[in-house]
Amino acid sequence: MKKKNRTLKSIIHHILISFFGFIMIYPLLWMIMSSFKDTNTIFTTAGNLIPTEFILDNYINGWKGFGHTSFATFFANSFFISTTATIGTVFSSSLVAYGLARSRFIGRKFLLVAILISMMLPAQVMMIPQYLWFQKIHWVGSYLPLIVPYFFAVQGFFVYLMMNFISGIPDELYEAAKIDGCSFYGIYARIILPLIVPALITGGIFSFIWRWDDFLSALLYVNDSSKYPVSLALKLFSDPGSSSDYGAMFAMATLSILPIIIIFIFLQKHLVEGISTSGLKG
Amino acid sequence: MGKKLTLLLVCILTVSLFSACGKKAVEEETGAKASEVVTAEETSTTADEKSLVFAWWGNQLRNERTQTTLDLYTTEYPNVVFDGQFAGWGDYWTKLATAVAGHTMPDIVQMDYSLLRQYVNKGLLTDLTPYIDNGSLDLSTVDAGIVKSGSIDNGVYAVCIGVNAPALLYNKTLLEENNITIEDNMTMDEFIRVSKEVYEKTGYKTNIAYNLGDSFLTYSLRGQGISMYEDGKFGATSAADFIPFFKFYEQGIEEGWHLTPEVFAESKKASVEQDPLVYGSSPDVRSWSTMIFSNQLTAMQQAAPEGVEIGITTWPSEDPKASNYLKPGQFLSVTNDSKNQEEAVKVVDYFTNSIAANEILLGERGVPASSVVADAISKLMDEKEQLVTEYINKVVTPNCSPIYAPSPEGANEVSVLLDQLEEQLCYGVITAEEAATQLFEEGSKIVESK
Amino acid sequence: MKIKRKAIKKFLYNENVAGFICASPFIIGFLVFMIVPMIISLYYSFCDYDILSPPTWAGLSNYIKIFTDDSKFIKSTLVTLYYAFVSVPLRLIFALIIAMMLLRSSKLTPIYRAMYYLPSIIGGSVAVAILWKRMFAMDGVINNLLGMVGIETNFSWLGNTSTAIWTLIILAVWQFGSSMLIFLASLKQIPSSLYESANVDGAKKIAKFFKITLPLITPTIFFNLIMQTITGFLAFTQCYIITQGKPMDSTLFYAVYMYQQSFEFYNTGYASALAWVMLAILGLVTWLLFATKKFWVYEGGL
Repeated sequence: MKKKNRTLKSIIHHILISFFGFIMIYPLLWMIMSSFKDTNTIFTTAGNLIPTEFILDNYINGWKGFGHTSFATFFANSFFISTTATIGTVFSSSLVAYGLARSRFIGRKFLLVAILISMMLPAQVMMIPQYLWFQKIHWVGSYLPLIVPYFFAVQGFFVYLMMNFISGIPDELYEAAKIDGCSFYGIYARIILPLIVPALITGGIFSFIWRWDDFLSALLYVNDSSKYPVSLALKLFSDPGSSSDYGAMFAMATLSILPIIIIFIFLQKHLVEGISTSGLKG
Repeated sequence: MGKKLTLLLVCILTVSLFSACGKKAVEEETGAKASEVVTAEETSTTADEKSLVFAWWGNQLRNERTQTTLDLYTTEYPNVVFDGQFAGWGDYWTKLATAVAGHTMPDIVQMDYSLLRQYVNKGLLTDLTPYIDNGSLDLSTVDAGIVKSGSIDNGVYAVCIGVNAPALLYNKTLLEENNITIEDNMTMDEFIRVSKEVYEKTGYKTNIAYNLGDSFLTYSLRGQGISMYEDGKFGATSAADFIPFFKFYEQGIEEGWHLTPEVFAESKKASVEQDPLVYGSSPDVRSWSTMIFSNQLTAMQQAAPEGVEIGITTWPSEDPKASNYLKPGQFLSVTNDSKNQEEAVKVVDYFTNSIAANEILLGERGVPASSVVADAISKLMDEKEQLVTEYINKVVTPNCSPIYAPSPEGANEVSVLLDQLEEQLCYGVITAEEAATQLFEEGSKIVESK
Repeated sequence: MKIKRKAIKKFLYNENVAGFICASPFIIGFLVFMIVPMIISLYYSFCDYDILSPPTWAGLSNYIKIFTDDSKFIKSTLVTLYYAFVSVPLRLIFALIIAMMLLRSSKLTPIYRAMYYLPSIIGGSVAVAILWKRMFAMDGVINNLLGMVGIETNFSWLGNTSTAIWTLIILAVWQFGSSMLIFLASLKQIPSSLYESANVDGAKKIAKFFKITLPLITPTIFFNLIMQTITGFLAFTQCYIITQGKPMDSTLFYAVYMYQQSFEFYNTGYASALAWVMLAILGLVTWLLFATKKFWVYEGGL
């Protein structure tokens, strides 16, 4: 009897989760399916999920890109920007978080507040002052403003994220490491980093996606259209007042989420493996 | 676990390095080719390579054509290289404004009539009069009125590269099926009569330029002999001048022949594909007409459902001759941040006068300003584009007045206020009289405070 | 010389100094990339600045106008507060529930996790915003689906002032996947030994949740709460693309209003003042949240 109950529970569990999950991804499925429909019929056949016939025109048209630059270039650009910025973010944020979490130096509280405040100023209003500043140091027209700041942990979200995970590491580990003669920096490299891998990966995924979707910085600082990232290129498909090619936009948008999905699937295991508790017992 | 992670990181790094290197390689190659061409021509010209930044807004089609035209220019003048920057409408102005703040404006910018005065007032655009006088900029084949439209206080700051006019696009098929006829230059009463007839017979409603800013208001006022703006304030002397305009909407909503505001909440503003003229699954969300501009006929026809033919005629008005005007669709201006003003002017001249260039552009921005060029390319244009040219030349030009003076600063804000009031009126929150009063009072405050 | 080098080394390896050095990237970043723009924007807030010409000092006039003569400021603040205070708790609740349900690792779990996380991957993109708009149209997918379960309607979700904001709220909540991930990772951090000893003591599932799980993840809940609140207050892109504040400003997000003032009306000085007022409001809300921290966040670690 007990076994039957458990399997029943399990089946209900699976049905509920997958049904709700399907609702969650329905819009996404709709977008992907629409990318295979004739662009003029996308909205008129909005109710039918599966297209009557799959056509690849949107992909071919969309891929052509704009003004002699194809989406291949746009993707390469996005990839480059997002990856480097993410690497910078993850490592600098974890380092800063470690310093803030595990030591008590003068001005620490002030820094914590500064980080919070830096997150609260809306980007739209910082746009012009930041542009002026970057222009003074001659970084406009290059990728530098899109990448370099992230090597300096400017996004407080990640610092706080890492701090949250570092605080979950028990003090005994630190004591043990110090007894073994590990320096403050050594602890970072040998104890912290391996133990907060889930946080590093979570943060990395977030950072990658945020950089990938960010078009405002690219709009201001990237002048050469062949250096546009995908996020900016997608916006060019929907210029008001002239014809918008939604089919092409959906097609390219579908392609643009592929790398992220792949990375996510690849890294999922590491994400939730959790802390190995082997060092904790005793 | 650590090993797999490292492996992944290495893979990602490698891929990004390759893509960056791949790009670099391509850049180096094209860079090499460009310098080859330059050295080859060095003997004939004083080849100091000039790089001009040219910014415009537009869609895929315009980008394609403009870029090709720029390439054509470079083959004729190999020492001039272009950095073509394009963006969508909204993003374009954001980026340009930021560039103004940083004094890094492109050499040549596409300019719009509604912002011309603002940019000129701030001293950002170059006065092209000296170049016209010395012949580098040849505007002899351009209608004088059009040239004037790019002028402010006797200086020419913008050259029109596409002539438009207000155009009422309508569902010709629907009207023919129901034996309803309309003619050019109809009055507002006639328009309302037709709208009611269409509504009774087919259930299709109409759309009086809802939420498209102040274009139609300006047009209507002109028909009554009033300017929208005069010397930095409203031309209207009291709120009463605005009442007739708002009454159209009030009447339309009450009597049911005007679309309700919910329909517009769902569509993208000013999007051709989602205009109720061509989009919507039942008659009560469709319109038999739309009031926009002539250069959108082609796009509208493309977006129309199978079997629907789109016709073109004038916006309704009490006095069509006083109301109607030829509008510079877009301009090209040279900015004062440019370090190569002479060369930039040559490019503007090229866009205006070169037949080869316009054979590529094919009037996508509007009918070419130069009559010579317009004639030369007319045989290359398709049926709808020719219809537009015909409309401009045969219907509008003989029966119109000079366009209103460039809008003063604050006009944008007033436009938004107007949209808001239209919305509130159509939702039934305010009356036409209240809308008129609010527009007059708050609008005056906005414009006069600048 | 040797003594000096040793002294320097000792200094650098002193725990507090080392901590400072570790935190230095942020200090540098903040000083170089943030302080200067922040000060400039604060300066603009006291000026009349229309971008196209240099700013001119205007004292407190922008701030005075905000608080005495701007109905849109009040409206957008209320709309934004409503949006944040409704969408954030909803997001967190869904995120926690689903995270708990996806804790056990069956073979299908990775797929489920991906399904729930996918929306937040694509949520920020322009394409999704356009998609969302079409979904809620009178003849859109939502009404079609309602029709399939027997509710025939062509209600205009986006055209009605009371429902339009909910299309944006639902969009935000739909993307709970990111919070869910964070919860998942921190749930996994709880050592199973705790649950094992609880089982030995004969504890029931609910008791285990409330006595072990919940207290231990309160720091994460707090973290998510702060982050989501800040993001919620500053929300921009979705509103900008989907509703632009319509109908009748019932969906006018503060950040969109600010953007309009700056780039459509060219009142950048005023927009900067708006930004600093938002900072003050956000700061206040965050400070209040921090003040409640000691009442419900378990700081003890493991």
